[in-house]
Amino acid sequence: MTVAAEPTLSPASERLRGRLATSALSGRFEVVDRDLPTIEVGPEAWPALARFLRDDPECRFDLFLDLCGVDNLRRRSQKSRFEAVVHLHSLPRNEHVRVRVLLPDEKKPALPSVTDVYPAANWFEREAFDLYGFDFPGHPNLHRILCHDAFVGHALRKDYAPGQRWFFAEEDMRMPQWAREEVEADHFETQTISIGPSHPATHGIIHLVARLDGEKIIRAETMIGYLHRCFEKMSETHYWNQIIPYTDRLNYVSSMINGVGYVRTAEKMLGVEIPDRGQLVRTILSEFTRIMDHCVCIGANLVDIGALTNFTYLYQNRENIYDLLEACCGARLTVSYVRVGGLAIDVPDDFAPRCRSLLESIPPFLRDVEKLVNNNRIVRNRLQGTGIVTREQAIGWGMTGPMLRASGVAYDVRRSRPYDFYDRFDWDIPISNDGDNLARYLVRMEEMRQSLKIIRQALDMLPAKGPVNSDDWRVVLPPKDAVYHDMESLIYHFKLIMEGIRVPAGERYEWIEGANGELGFYAVSDGRGGPYRLKVRPPCFPNLAAFEQIVVGGTVSDAVATLGTLNVIAGELDR
Amino acid sequence: MSGVIDVSKGAPERLTFLQRLYLPEIFRGMAVTLRHLVRNLTNYKGMPTIQYPEQKRNYSGRFRGKHILKTREDGTLKCVACYMCQQACPAECITIVAGEHPKIAFEKYPVVFDIDMLRCVFCGFCIDACPKDAIWMTRNYELAFFNRQDAIFGINKLVERPGEQVKDGYGYRPYYPGDGTVPPTDATVAPVVPGDGERAKLRETGLLPTYRPSGPRVGSGR
Repeated sequence: MTVAAEPTLSPASERLRGRLATSALSGRFEVVDRDLPTIEVGPEAWPALARFLRDDPECRFDLFLDLCGVDNLRRRSQKSRFEAVVHLHSLPRNEHVRVRVLLPDEKKPALPSVTDVYPAANWFEREAFDLYGFDFPGHPNLHRILCHDAFVGHALRKDYAPGQRWFFAEEDMRMPQWAREEVEADHFETQTISIGPSHPATHGIIHLVARLDGEKIIRAETMIGYLHRCFEKMSETHYWNQIIPYTDRLNYVSSMINGVGYVRTAEKMLGVEIPDRGQLVRTILSEFTRIMDHCVCIGANLVDIGALTNFTYLYQNRENIYDLLEACCGARLTVSYVRVGGLAIDVPDDFAPRCRSLLESIPPFLRDVEKLVNNNRIVRNRLQGTGIVTREQAIGWGMTGPMLRASGVAYDVRRSRPYDFYDRFDWDIPISNDGDNLARYLVRMEEMRQSLKIIRQALDMLPAKGPVNSDDWRVVLPPKDAVYHDMESLIYHFKLIMEGIRVPAGERYEWIEGANGELGFYAVSDGRGGPYRLKVRPPCFPNLAAFEQIVVGGTVSDAVATLGTLNVIAGELDR
Repeated sequence: MSGVIDVSKGAPERLTFLQRLYLPEIFRGMAVTLRHLVRNLTNYKGMPTIQYPEQKRNYSGRFRGKHILKTREDGTLKCVACYMCQQACPAECITIVAGEHPKIAFEKYPVVFDIDMLRCVFCGFCIDACPKDAIWMTRNYELAFFNRQDAIFGINKLVERPGEQVKDGYGYRPYYPGDGTVPPTDATVAPVVPGDGERAKLRETGLLPTYRPSGPRVGSGR
C-alpha cells in the first residue's frame, strides 16, 4: 500500500494513515474518508489496532465510545455482510475516529474482544453479540444483554423478521454463574441478593445481583434489558421523520435533546441548513431540558438518601419547564417538537418573555436546595467519598458527561466540537477532581447555572421573527396554506409523506452533549425514505456498565446513592 | 467560549464544627422549608399543585389530545380518504377504508376511519400530514376505557359535533406562518352521511363508469 496510489484524503485521515503505516499493522488496514476518518481492518488485526490507537502518542484514542454491528445483507456493494463499527475519541487531541472491522465469515461472524484494551467495550460487545450474533473470543461474560435469555435469533440481522415474539418464563432468567455457586457455609454473613428489577431506588427497571459480606458488596453484576423495545429495529421499518416520536422515549427525562441529536444526523447527511432562529430555539429548549434532567437526577438521588424536600423544590422547575414545552409543541414529556429540517411549528409569540421569567424562577430553587444539602452532615456522610471513580477509570469505562467531568476531565461536546451556536456563548465547564458522588452532585448543580447562562445569551441572539424551518421542500413539509391552494406544494407534501425523506446513501456519526453524556447517533442510509441502520449511543449505557465495579467494596446504601448519581434512564439504556 | 471551573471549592472538604454539630444546620434547613410553607399557605393560588379532577390544568392551544374529524359547511367529513395520515402515523394506529363519494367534486370519503387510542402516541403527525385540514386535535386528554374494543374510535366518536369546542377546546392543528393559526370555528350543523345521490344519477344516465372501490389498506407500504 503506497500513499501515492490512493485517492487524496483529508489531512486528518492522511496523518492517521501515515502514522499507522509506521506500525506493525502496515498493510493490514485501509484508511478511507467518510464523515470521520475511517480505518477498515480485518478481525484478526483489530486488537492490535485497538492497542496501537490507544497507546500511540500521536493517536491516543483513549475514550471508547461505541461498538455496533451492521448487517449489509441488502447493501450488496459492501465488502462483507457483517461489520462491526467502532467509534473512538481522543481526549488529548480532540478527535473522533471510526474503525470498521469487516467480518468475512458470514456463517459465524467473530472478532476478538478488546475488553482488555478498552474496559468500556464489555457491554457494547455483549450488545453486538445479542443483536447480531457476533462472537467475541476472549470476552469475560458473553451473554445476551438487551433481549431476554429465551430469545431465539439475533434481532437486528436483516433476515430476522420484525414482530416475532418469544415467550420468557421466570425459570429462563439467567443468574450469573458466581451467584449460583454455593458460598462457604461457615461464613454465615455472606449472601447473594437481588436488588431490583423493580426496586424504588433503581428508577426504572434494573437488576443488580450482589454478593454481600455483612453489608459490604464483594461482587456484583448488573442485568438490564427489561425495558428493551427494539428502537433500532423499529427505526429500520419507519421513515426518518417517523422515528422522532421514538427518540422522545429514549431518554424520556430530556426528550428534546434526543430529538435534536437525531435530526442533526439526518440533516448532516442531507446537507440541510437550519435558519438561526430554528437553531436557537432548539438550543434554548435543549438547555432547559438539560436543567430538567439534572433536577430529576439530583431530586431523585436525594430522595434515595432520605432528603425528600429537595425533590419537590426541584420538580417545580421541571413543572414550569414542562409548561413552556407544552406551550411550544403541545406535549409535556414526549415533545416530538423537532423535525428533520427544523421544528414542527414556530414557537408561540410569548416564547421569549416566558423563557426569561423561567430564568428568574429557577435559581431560587437551586439556592434553596444548596442551603439544605451542601453542608448537611447526613448528605455529606452519604455522598462524600462514596462511589469514587478516578480519572483513569472514568476514561477506561467510556464515561462521558457529568460522570467524566466529576472525575476531572473537562470533556464536553458543546466545547470540544461546538455545534449550533455553542462556540459563541460564554460559559464554563464545571469539573471536579474528587470523582465521588458529592462531586457529581456539585457538577450537575453548576451545570444548571451554566445552562441558564447559555439560555440568557441565546435569548439575546434570538431573532424576534423569522423562519424556523429550512425552505428545502424535499425535506420540510411545505406550509399548510400552500398545500391547500398550490398543486406543486401538494405534490411535495404527498411525496414527503408517502415516500419519506430521501437521505443520500452513506453513513454518519453525529454526536451532541446529552444531559448525561455524549449522545451519538450512527446512521446508515441506502437512499430510501428511512434509515438502513440506526444506532444510538446512549450515554448512560457505559456509565451503568461500570456500576458493578464501582459498588464493590461499598455498602448497599452506597450503591443506592451511586446509582442515583449515575443518572441511569432505563428508556435510553435498554432502548 | 470560556474556561473551566472547579466546583469542588463550592463545598469545602471538611465541615466546620458548627456544621458538624448538626443542630444549627437543622434550623437553617427548617428556615428554608418553613419559608416555603408560609409562602404556599398565604399564596394558595400560586401553588403548583392542582386538585385534579375538580380542578383542571389549562393547556395551551397546541395541546395534543384526542383527535376530531372536521366537517364541511354541509356537515360532511372534510376527509377525502387519501391515506396520508395512515401512512405518516409512526404507531400505525389509523385504519381507513375509502368509499366513493356520491358527490363528484369530492371523489372519496372514508367509510371507516378508526384510530386506536391505545396505540396512538399523540405525536400530531396525522395533523401535519393531512392535505385537507380534515383532522385536528383537541385538549381532551381524559381517555379511559373499560376494554380494548372501546379504545378504537370510529367516525362517530371522532367527528366534530356542535359544541365540541366549548367542551374541550381545540388543540394542535394545521399551522399558517405569519398570522398564527386558523381561527377556530365551531361546527354549526350535525354531521350527516355524505351525498345527495349525484353519482347515482350520473351513472343512470351512463355518464360515469361503474367504479369498484379497492379493498382496505391501499397505498401504503415501502
